Amino acid sequence: MQRAAKCALRLDISRAFCPSNVRNCRAVNRVNGSVSCRRYSVLPPPRDEEEKAMLDSMLRVDHAGEYGANRIYAGQMAVLGRTQTGPLIQHMWDQEKMHLERFNEILGEHRVRPTLLLPLWNIAGFALGACTALLGKEGAMACTVAVEESISEHYNSQIRTLMEADPERYTELLQLIKEFRDDEIEHHDTGLEHDAESVSLICWFASYEMYVLVFCCCCV
Amino acid sequence: MLCMYRNASPLWLDMAALIRGLRAGRALRGLGGVAVQGTLSPQCSNVRRGFHRAALLRLASDSKSDTSVPPPSYREVHTAGESSSSSAQGESSEDAQPNTSFQDQSGEHGEDYETEEQLQARILTAALEFVSQHGWTVEAIAAGAETLGLSSASTGMFNNGAGDLVLHFVAQCNAQLAETLAEQNNQVQLGQAESKKTGEFLKDAVETRLRMLVPYIDTWPQAMSILLLPHNIPDSLKHLSTMVDDIWYYAGDRSTDVNWYTRRAALTGIYNTTELVMVQDSSPDFEETWAFLDNRIKDVVNMANTAKQVQATGEAVVQGLMGAAITLKNLTGMNQRR
Repeated sequence: MQRAAKCALRLDISRAFCPSNVRNCRAVNRVNGSVSCRRYSVLPPPRDEEEKAMLDSMLRVDHAGEYGANRIYAGQMAVLGRTQTGPLIQHMWDQEKMHLERFNEILGEHRVRPTLLLPLWNIAGFALGACTALLGKEGAMACTVAVEESISEHYNSQIRTLMEADPERYTELLQLIKEFRDDEIEHHDTGLEHDAESVSLICWFASYEMYVLVFCCCCV
Repeated sequence: MLCMYRNASPLWLDMAALIRGLRAGRALRGLGGVAVQGTLSPQCSNVRRGFHRAALLRLASDSKSDTSVPPPSYREVHTAGESSSSSAQGESSEDAQPNTSFQDQSGEHGEDYETEEQLQARILTAALEFVSQHGWTVEAIAAGAETLGLSSASTGMFNNGAGDLVLHFVAQCNAQLAETLAEQNNQVQLGQAESKKTGEFLKDAVETRLRMLVPYIDTWPQAMSILLLPHNIPDSLKHLSTMVDDIWYYAGDRSTDVNWYTRRAALTGIYNTTELVMVQDSSPDFEETWAFLDNRIKDVVNMANTAKQVQATGEAVVQGLMGAAITLKNLTGMNQRR
């Protein structure tokens, strides 16, 4: 339970102005608006305000989704960490951490505002993960299945939007989203393998929460 | 061409009459060879004079009714520059208005085409010189238009009047600040300058931005009150937030959590309070303002450090309590695996 306590205390308000934290920024190429300096860039330089707004909104929602998934796994680990399913959940959590890390980089690089609801998802995600895990391994897996299903549906609709708009322009972004979607589908299948079907109410509740997250974070 | 030339043939005589008036403006822009003069037929000269007045009034009312007058120059982060974006906007608003027969007559096109946004920007920039005389008012805009050789009735283009002037100035200052910060950043990346600590960077950036107000400091309270008018608040907030975002970005902030918001909120507070202090500061070269700014930034940095310490202490205390609990459980034998 140590980890649970630590997670609960990890409110970021204290790091508000820590100068050393700010100096952790990445390398040379990320700093000014000029495109030519970027070594790698997932997004194309935006043509106009509309495109920038659309891409910003997409990235904001994705980032919030990964953050929420991260917290859900943290909640599940807090309860089931020392049981047999611990290593499995840990493995899935590590992949989610990688996704979140990647989105953090993209947000920082492209000056995308993160969603204001992050503290809410911090608590709600952890609570969802912990509560479903309290129902046992099946509950945790059911939650995973529901959450991953709605995340992958969401990624699919983003892929569709980008493909309809201009596939060549968004090649790198499409690749990234496809890769993450495949990972999420893998988690979904893992959850199904491990007896998730037995608890359907959980599925409904968890997926509902994810839909709410997606709608809110687009705007806020 | 200006969109006022969009009128159909019955008015081409009237519009043609205005060309003389605009020649001065074109000369200023370094446009040459606009073959306008030769197209006017001699017999129209009398008619021209008579219609001149009517045309001016028509121009003002047409422009007022037809143009959408978007507030000038929103922040463009990644686009090539203000002019390209404003010309894109101009082109989209021009699509509904076909080019006049006048342009077809002269055959001039392309590089000489000035969008309405660009014209408005030019007028407002010229109007800034008259702010000390007329204040942030429509009279200043009229005076600015007259220096460009345009009629003072072209203030009709600006639906928001003085608000347009103030917002234009704010946008101009923010763009200048962003350029300065980008340039400094380049210097640091190239190793030609030392990177500053966050507090110092913020202080320098805010000071640079506030110093741009110095020429207009006597009339700045009027400008501030204009920015606080309800219909101007969305735009002024947008300008403020983009400026604060720029400053933090170049200070190196890449946070993607709630820090993003707390940092920007704090800097907004610092900027606004320092601006208020500056407006009533009478010390030489605003020394008191810079001292105030310095103290506010120090306060905020101290607060952040204190919060960090509190969190670290809290975590240590929790660790200690957990350890004590586990020890107790061990002692009482409750911790055995079942």
